[in-house]
Amino acid sequence: MRKFDHINAESYEEASSALRSYKKAEPIAGGTDLIGTLKKQILPDAPEAVVNLKTIKDASYIRDNGNTVSIGAMTKLCDIEDSDFLKTEEKAVWDAARSIASPIIRNEATIGGNICQDVRCWYYRYPHAIGGRLMCARKGGDECYAIKGRNQYHSIMGGMNTGKNACSTECPAGTDIPGYMARIREDDWDGAAEIIMRVNPMPMLTSRVCPHTCQTQCNQCEDGDCINIHAVERALGDYILENADKFYQKPATETGKKVGIVGAGPAGLTAAYYLRKEGHTVTVYEKMEEAGGVLMYGIPEYRLPKHYVRDLVHAIENMGVNFCFNTEVGKDIKIEEIKEANDTVFLDTGAWKQPILGIDGEHLTHFGLNFLVEVKAFMNRQIGKNVLVCGGGNVAMDVALTAVRLGAQKVKLVCLEQRAEMPASAEEIARAEEEGVEIYNGWGLGRVISAEDGSVTGLEAKRCTSVFDEAGHFSPVYDENDKEVFESDCIILATGQRVDLDFLGEKYKEELKSARGLIEIGEHKDTREPGVYAGGDAASGPSVAIKAIRDGGIAARHMSEYMGYPVKPAPARGGFLKHDPERIFVTESMKEKDTPVAERSLENEDSTSLTREEAKLEAGRCMNCGCYSVNASDMSPVLVAFDAEIKTTEHTFGADQFFSNMHSVEILEPGEIVTEITVPKMEGYETGYLKMRLRESIDFAVTSLAYAYKEENGVLADVRLAAGGIAPVPVRFSEAEAFLKGKAKTAENVDQAAEIALKDAQPLKENNYKIQEVKVQFRKAFGV
Amino acid sequence: MSKELTLKVNGETYTFTVGDNLGQIPETETLVETLRDRLGLTGTKLSCGEGACGCCAVLMDGKAVASCITLTTECEGREIVTIEGLSDPVTGKLDPLQEAFLSHNAFQCGFCTPGIIIAAKSILNKNPHPTVEEIEEGLSGNFCRCISHYQVIEAVKSIL
Repeated sequence: MRKFDHINAESYEEASSALRSYKKAEPIAGGTDLIGTLKKQILPDAPEAVVNLKTIKDASYIRDNGNTVSIGAMTKLCDIEDSDFLKTEEKAVWDAARSIASPIIRNEATIGGNICQDVRCWYYRYPHAIGGRLMCARKGGDECYAIKGRNQYHSIMGGMNTGKNACSTECPAGTDIPGYMARIREDDWDGAAEIIMRVNPMPMLTSRVCPHTCQTQCNQCEDGDCINIHAVERALGDYILENADKFYQKPATETGKKVGIVGAGPAGLTAAYYLRKEGHTVTVYEKMEEAGGVLMYGIPEYRLPKHYVRDLVHAIENMGVNFCFNTEVGKDIKIEEIKEANDTVFLDTGAWKQPILGIDGEHLTHFGLNFLVEVKAFMNRQIGKNVLVCGGGNVAMDVALTAVRLGAQKVKLVCLEQRAEMPASAEEIARAEEEGVEIYNGWGLGRVISAEDGSVTGLEAKRCTSVFDEAGHFSPVYDENDKEVFESDCIILATGQRVDLDFLGEKYKEELKSARGLIEIGEHKDTREPGVYAGGDAASGPSVAIKAIRDGGIAARHMSEYMGYPVKPAPARGGFLKHDPERIFVTESMKEKDTPVAERSLENEDSTSLTREEAKLEAGRCMNCGCYSVNASDMSPVLVAFDAEIKTTEHTFGADQFFSNMHSVEILEPGEIVTEITVPKMEGYETGYLKMRLRESIDFAVTSLAYAYKEENGVLADVRLAAGGIAPVPVRFSEAEAFLKGKAKTAENVDQAAEIALKDAQPLKENNYKIQEVKVQFRKAFGV
Repeated sequence: MSKELTLKVNGETYTFTVGDNLGQIPETETLVETLRDRLGLTGTKLSCGEGACGCCAVLMDGKAVASCITLTTECEGREIVTIEGLSDPVTGKLDPLQEAFLSHNAFQCGFCTPGIIIAAKSILNKNPHPTVEEIEEGLSGNFCRCISHYQVIEAVKSIL
């Protein structure tokens, strides 16, 4: 055990304040679970202090309140077992206490400790001393080893969300990827759309342009193809757009508050969508002819056909968002006027300016982003025969491929970075090479070489020996003696874009600017000017669309709140996590069909979307990573079945609420301690607790069932049923209870109730037998 | 100032201080370590280390507990009896329960036996006339790889 302070508390107040005075401290009740946990060091963090609750006075008691019984949290399980009063008045509590571990443990363990114990799972509890602990999902890692591993004692009802899915965490917008995958598996495309649109109103666009690094984090990568997340997202995005009327609805009520948005890029459109949804009046000012920003003008048609952007903008327009196109803020309208006319303003002006590199002949080159914007104009002109693209990012790849498809005879690409360091996604690089782009890594720009008539003939490049310094900052080092000339008659620079804040005018520019020349924003995407928010590349620097979408979403939430209309948070994901127990073992992903290289063009999308059926199959491979452990407290099913109350130093919880978290104590505030358990007496009921385990002592429940029922006039007047050991939390079988009420206690009815109770069960590979065990316990409980 | 800790083991009183210096008891020390390594009472055995096997059982205020998952600092003022404390301190005469184990050969390798005798003592302290079922239940937290349990139950029954 790692060193800790030890404090004997004399009262709960003293214990609470002692617990709060440390960053991490644990209360010790009986200690029978805690000491084992600390010895094995199963958790990465060890407590700085252990606060002993056993020294608290008058914390151990069994009190008869008439209709209920209250048990002090520090009451030992042996005292419950030895109580004749509980044996007659609270038989199920008494049964449960006697079933716990062994007499040696029960002589020290307390009822308070029992209901606060952590989950059971052999991966979670793997001892650190033997090859190192396993950082499973439950522990803050991202993978549940039980889903595909050994799982005979794990959950049969599904897993629970740990809030730390690797894919969702990787996504800048935090998209609940497993959440929408689960809905798609159920063929609930509307539900899936609702989930993704909580953070991203344009999945039909992001699925096509996002570097989707979420896929690199997918836990399926270890066994085969990762989930083809973007392909599923694309099918979902297409569905959303096909049903735009359903998903981009006018708000039911108008707030009368006004919002001005400068720039209709992904951040601006996102903010417009969410703010309009809340009922605000939204006006978007856009310099260009059409909305979409880089998505409209900077990404080639073959990667993102523009009709998707137009259809999305049209849908947002139909929600009642006003667009003022061809309106350049700073020229056609002043920022002051927009501010004056609106309650809040959002700035999303992007990064469109060419950075000046300062090389000889730079004026003879083309700017990559302009090239993409004006690709139509280029199409009418003859592009150079021998094109040289400079840059290693996705824009450079887009430029190079566009040049190929425009008919350039040869396209070469030089960039500073070595292959592994290139910021472009591996798929984009592969695609460029597939179409004949030659990539030269490790070259920096020297000077542009031109003929006497001013025409470009090539680029003198110098060897770049390293791109980043030791701290990982961009700081290229060149070998000036190692030079090479790349012949070219058309050089296109795609070496980054800059933010231009001139549109703000002198006063605001100075006020809002950051040290890096961007718009300075806080956590809420708020600028230094109250009521003015900003996001996207103008505030965060050139980056991916999904980051801009996140900015727009966060800003919209806080802008609405600023105007007096706080946004209701999305409901938490309820129920257990389910997956397809067979398809998770499929190692090959469903892939979008690519057009053969020879048939690719500038006008048509390179690949076709998965059909909904294919997307559903692919979603079937998602493991819905979470925690598939089981709750081990024998007391908990009894307390849940009987609607007991759990009193703490701060609150009184219903048992169902207290045991709604994977580890019950997660519901508690720092320093909050369970003090008392109050259980209804269930007079006139037949009650008990059944526990199935391998050995008659020590073992935790494989399955357990707490029950109570009352018979009147030959039928069941009331029934209570809750199971343990089958899910990360105790499970109340409300539907089975309702089914049995008013029915005779026959084997047939009881069997049918068990079927109902387990209809949502989804056993893992090795624990199907638990279903049968629960059914047997149903029969035993009712004596049929 | 260091916290003082008074332990009552087998009728003797020992005074320690809690801390990390030489001779002090660290907060993280378990009772089985204190008994074996500081007091030389090696009759109590350490096996699983997580309270499952019963080898480390000692009597705490008359009830068997697992000393491997008990922090020594939490034993202040409690009466601890180990296997060594069952015999008469003056004459050395064994407890009748120990004698019964000897006469029934209720052990083979003997590693788990101190824990089993302590657990049996705990049963008898609570209930001087247990049924066979109660004996079995009372000893269910003591594992024996040599399968001595049949003789153990006979031994316990013999002194009722």
